Amino acid sequence: MRASAARIAALVRKEFTHLFRDPRSLALVLLLPVVELLLFAWAISFDVREVPTIIWDADGSAASRAYVQQYAAGGFFTVKGSADSYDDIDKAFERGQARVAVVVPAGFQRAQDAGLRADVQVLVDGGEPTSARMGEAYALALNQRYNATSFASWVARTPGASVDAPTTGVLEPRVRTWYNPDRLSSVFLIPGLVVVIIMIVTVQQTAVTIVRERDQHTAEQMLVSPLSHTELVVGKLLPWTVLAFVDMAIVVGLGMGLFELPMRGSWAVLAAGSVLFVFASLAIGLIISSVTPSPETANIAAIMVAFLPSFLLSGFAFPIASMPPVLQAVTYAFPAREMVTISRGVFLKGAGLADVWTELLQLTAYAVVAVGVAVRLYGRRARR
Amino acid sequence: MNGKRLRLLIWKEFLQLRRDPLFLRLAMAMPIIQLVLFGYVVAADVTNLKTAVIDLDRTPASRTIAASFAASDYFNIVARPDGEDALRPLLDRNEIALAIVIPAGTQASLERGEVAGIGIVVDGSDSSTASVGTSYASRVIAGYNALPDAGPGAKASVRVVFNQSLRTVNTMIPGLIATIMMISVLAIMSQAVVKERERGTLEQMFTTPISRGEYLVGKVVPYMVLSGVQALFVATIGTLWFRVPFYGSVWVVLTGLLLFMLTNVGMGLLISLVSRTRQQAQQMMMFVMLPTMILSGFIFPIESMPDAIKPFTAAIPMTHALVVMRGAFVKGAGFDALATPLLALAGFAVAIFGLAVVLMRRRLSE
Repeated sequence: MRASAARIAALVRKEFTHLFRDPRSLALVLLLPVVELLLFAWAISFDVREVPTIIWDADGSAASRAYVQQYAAGGFFTVKGSADSYDDIDKAFERGQARVAVVVPAGFQRAQDAGLRADVQVLVDGGEPTSARMGEAYALALNQRYNATSFASWVARTPGASVDAPTTGVLEPRVRTWYNPDRLSSVFLIPGLVVVIIMIVTVQQTAVTIVRERDQHTAEQMLVSPLSHTELVVGKLLPWTVLAFVDMAIVVGLGMGLFELPMRGSWAVLAAGSVLFVFASLAIGLIISSVTPSPETANIAAIMVAFLPSFLLSGFAFPIASMPPVLQAVTYAFPAREMVTISRGVFLKGAGLADVWTELLQLTAYAVVAVGVAVRLYGRRARR
Repeated sequence: MNGKRLRLLIWKEFLQLRRDPLFLRLAMAMPIIQLVLFGYVVAADVTNLKTAVIDLDRTPASRTIAASFAASDYFNIVARPDGEDALRPLLDRNEIALAIVIPAGTQASLERGEVAGIGIVVDGSDSSTASVGTSYASRVIAGYNALPDAGPGAKASVRVVFNQSLRTVNTMIPGLIATIMMISVLAIMSQAVVKERERGTLEQMFTTPISRGEYLVGKVVPYMVLSGVQALFVATIGTLWFRVPFYGSVWVVLTGLLLFMLTNVGMGLLISLVSRTRQQAQQMMMFVMLPTMILSGFIFPIESMPDAIKPFTAAIPMTHALVVMRGAFVKGAGFDALATPLLALAGFAVAIFGLAVVLMRRRLSE
């Protein structure tokens, strides 16, 4: 039987009627991307700064105050209070009130006056490993800077001091960030977020709506109608395809309007990638719907196949390069990985067809295979 | 409350669970998948960053600097281009994540005792790697700078307390126990009532002598048991396979988890009661879960969030559950140190679970 446009249109209208009858559902599908976007763009920052720091200044001298002042200057440490004992520091760490503690023992001033190095302790709470690691690096750098300047002023103050002291310059890191100079996490995250959202809308929603139809026994009713399998699948999937693109437009629009997301590459490449990706995702949704008996199961399966991998294994927020090799191989099993590369490449790096053709090819292969499997499984299921 | 009726109700829920073997298998596979994903992906510590070194100075000093980058575990030097022009294509094709540029004249200015800049080019399209890479690079440079021990200044010893190995898994797994519990309790409880209502079995249920209280307990207990088993499973794998140390008291953890579980059961029931279809319930669950995952500090530290966002994080029960779990696991904190988050959790449990019970009574008598 040839597919009839009129029948498909009727089915699409039916799906949209379902959706509009259930305004909360519709609102959720349209609002979820916005909420996600705002959360990711506003709340998340990969730059660690303002690490809460407490100071135990047992010397209480002008010199120690000047030293401690170094921690307050610069954006990395934020002095949150003072301590008088190691117990105080332990308590502050345990309650999560501080992550770094600086201990300046008595005798700091005396050592400075004598031209000697004074022992100082910097304690870092390893409970938040990333900021702890950065805290270590920043504390070391800060002390070196302090030493270099106090050495220089000591040499200037003390006649004859420079004679035996070696004069060595200091290296200083000058960081340049390409593609995203202000390191806006929104700019980094939004191209990937588009992918996550498409995946959720297409895979999860299609899988659940199709299974629900079966669960409520309206699928049989549909089958006794003149609708062919193909028409049924197309009519079921079209509305979600439309919604996926609407969601995508919302996210990209908000990203470019509100969050300074640049578009450096070609829209055509992005569109080509998105279409392939949406096909692949819809096929995954169909496959899930064919193998799961109930909407709950379909939902959990969709979370595992669509949500988790696109969130965690796509390079969306967590760099693929630092995963163990086995998992790096697993990332190829989901189309989200390729799509994140394409999306980020096009938006941020101005990638054209020449840069991302391998990813596009992989997506094409993925889409063809997934659609093939989906049609097979769906047909078999429907015939039973 | 009648013990026999309760037992039968609970039995019925378990029977229903068994009827959907795929569901049960998925419910068991879920924690494993999450353990693998969070333990190995989210908790992965960035090492071996693919790095390009451009040495424009070509002096003994510049070679020593390059060597100190090569010697560190953090950097894996994969390219040594001749000029900065070569960087762009390398970064464009994701062949490197970071580049070190040693400008001409570095040795000369070091010998003159000046401050010499070392260029660190990071790929801002990958924010997390960029910011970690920057701090690693400044660390290596700080190591190179180790100045002679002369003149005044501070001899700082920087020491890590708690989680000295700085393994991210050690804080990830305790959080994951709470997260997996939340996901599975929410996923199941949010469907519980709405499913019976959709199928019309809810009315059937109340033509029997079962009271509303019995119905509630019968619905809640099986899934609390299930999620308790899950949590135990995750904790076992975490300590045995991922070798996460446990310094705290079991009672602190159990108290925290129980309060958190009650909160989630209440939240799930609320969702189930206000939704008309299962799909709605499922979407609402996503709405609750997303902000929780992002704002609770589970993956992204709360400290790095903007000040305007920070107060909102306290309104999320999971934030407090994480403080309890991590405090107990990593720092061995006891009831006194964790009093505030535990009280907050108790407050959430009473408020949310209470609201769910009240609403349930009202909805079911409609």
